[in-house]
Amino acid sequence: MAFLLRRLAFYLAAFLVAATINFFLPRLMPGDPIEIMFASAGAELSLENLNALKLTFGFIDAPLHEQYFAYLQSVFTGDLGRSIKYFPLPVTELLGRALLWTLGLMGIATIISFTLGSFLGIFAAWRRGRLVDSVISLGAIFSSSVPAVVVSLIMLFIFGYTLRWFPNGYAANPLIDPAWNWTYISSVLYHGTLPMLTLVFVLTGGFGVTMRNNMINLLGEDYIVMARAKGLSDNNVMLWYAARNALLPTVSSLAIAIGTILGGSLVTEVVFNYPGLGNTLYQAIIARDYPVIQGQLLIMTAAMLISNFVVDLSYVLLDPRLKKA
Amino acid sequence: MKLLRQLLNNKKALVGLIILTIIVLVAIFAPLLTEYSPTRRVGRPHQAPSWDHWMGTTRLGHDVFSRLVHGARVSLAVGFGAGLLITVIGTVLGIIAGYKGGVVDEVINFFTNMVLVIPNLPLLLVLAAFIGQASPMVIAIILGFTSWAWGVRVTRSETLSIRQRDFVKSAEMLGEPSWRIMLFEIFPNLISIVGINFIGSVIFAVITEATLEFLGLGDPNTVSWGIMLYNAQNSAALSVGAWWDILAPCFALAFLGLGLALLNFAIDEIANPRLRTGGMLNRWTRMVRIGEGKL
Repeated sequence: MAFLLRRLAFYLAAFLVAATINFFLPRLMPGDPIEIMFASAGAELSLENLNALKLTFGFIDAPLHEQYFAYLQSVFTGDLGRSIKYFPLPVTELLGRALLWTLGLMGIATIISFTLGSFLGIFAAWRRGRLVDSVISLGAIFSSSVPAVVVSLIMLFIFGYTLRWFPNGYAANPLIDPAWNWTYISSVLYHGTLPMLTLVFVLTGGFGVTMRNNMINLLGEDYIVMARAKGLSDNNVMLWYAARNALLPTVSSLAIAIGTILGGSLVTEVVFNYPGLGNTLYQAIIARDYPVIQGQLLIMTAAMLISNFVVDLSYVLLDPRLKKA
Repeated sequence: MKLLRQLLNNKKALVGLIILTIIVLVAIFAPLLTEYSPTRRVGRPHQAPSWDHWMGTTRLGHDVFSRLVHGARVSLAVGFGAGLLITVIGTVLGIIAGYKGGVVDEVINFFTNMVLVIPNLPLLLVLAAFIGQASPMVIAIILGFTSWAWGVRVTRSETLSIRQRDFVKSAEMLGEPSWRIMLFEIFPNLISIVGINFIGSVIFAVITEATLEFLGLGDPNTVSWGIMLYNAQNSAALSVGAWWDILAPCFALAFLGLGLALLNFAIDEIANPRLRTGGMLNRWTRMVRIGEGKL
């Protein structure tokens, strides 16, 4: 319990750092911070609306620390301002809607590639030095070293434009109304296949290499030799003695990898014109819609911290030593 | 020197080094490889690959091959520049935290963990968006100052184990100043970790620079692989069938990434002999097996 509380306090501090970066960045840039922040507003926003927006971001007639607290207050009450491009849509609503798609895409891709990568890693380690190992290792190296942009574009070129097996964009056929029926869901699955495959390709290699190397390091341990000496079957030793313990560091590497996964997911969405965070953000960058760009950092950080906390929880479950602490 | 010899004996490292050498040579001799300027209109828009333009032309009539070989310079410079910065910061902080311990360690460790949980790309997006059209140099610098955390973590944990060894203890007994111990006793033993960190950081920097530029945060006048992708995407190259415009920088990035990753994997194998799959270990297991057969 104390362990989890300590982690929670730490995550709160990390979130505060992200908010602080957001606060100081426009103020550190040369020029008038208000001018910079709301340059894209032009004449479209009424004075009243602009003033409300300024207030949210702490641009008040007061010393810096009071501005800072004003900003923190709006952040912690869940007010991230409004998008300038899609005024008056609140940033939280715009990003929240997009986040749903991203989390779905990212979550499923992570689960698939984590499982696939771990099994391939276990298998490669068990047969290390053989052909299977070389093929898996080289494939894993290749998959983890190619940028997500490149994989997305090549996938789109091959399966989207040349073979025409899958659609080139959108989360579902825009002509179908969103509803909980098979027509819509199958359209979502169909449209999600290519981005999903791209992410699985990009992510599997990293998980595979980590798992393989952890496994190989463990295979020399005495308890593995002991298990074999007892005459247990290969599969039994491989899965219940070695893999179970090799999984622990892999899970903690998952926590660090979440940031990378997010990054890959953002780019993939842009390429496939998928309505997730990545694409929303891309539009915001083009329009220099700073409230949205700042809001995404907070929302992504929050998403990252929550998933880290979930990993912490699973760590407590996997490692009995932590339960006592 | 020993590390270099071991690298050359490793097949993965050799292939990786060859790939890297090719790209470096192409980058150095870029102006000699092509007669076209990378920034001038030298043909009609979106010409397919032909004898005149090996890799076709872009929407603006620029020669793709020329932009590709000149762009290699930027990718390599940003990759190695940012990689060096990331590695230096990570190694210095990691060794100091691991060796000094106490409050210094706690402060460094706290900040490291903090940086690790703030997602990198979103942070870079915010920074780059406020900076405006970031030049490759600016991208390299912000990459360097935001991405060192992983290096600190691994260097620190390795330093923690090395500082317990006898040679460090005896250097302390002799009264050597701590900077000397860190530099001459601990650092040489971290060389493989530093190498892995460096090459990993170069891969990361190359990928991230291309990604930021692709997302429209770079300076559109730069000749780099990321900007090539950005321009190709903006001119809808795939949907008008100008695949060469997109695939050329794609394959270049994949090639560079593969070369670096092979090198990284090889250093990992050399540093951690258990991971080695070919050569020695194979011969050894075969010998053991033959021995078993005879018994």
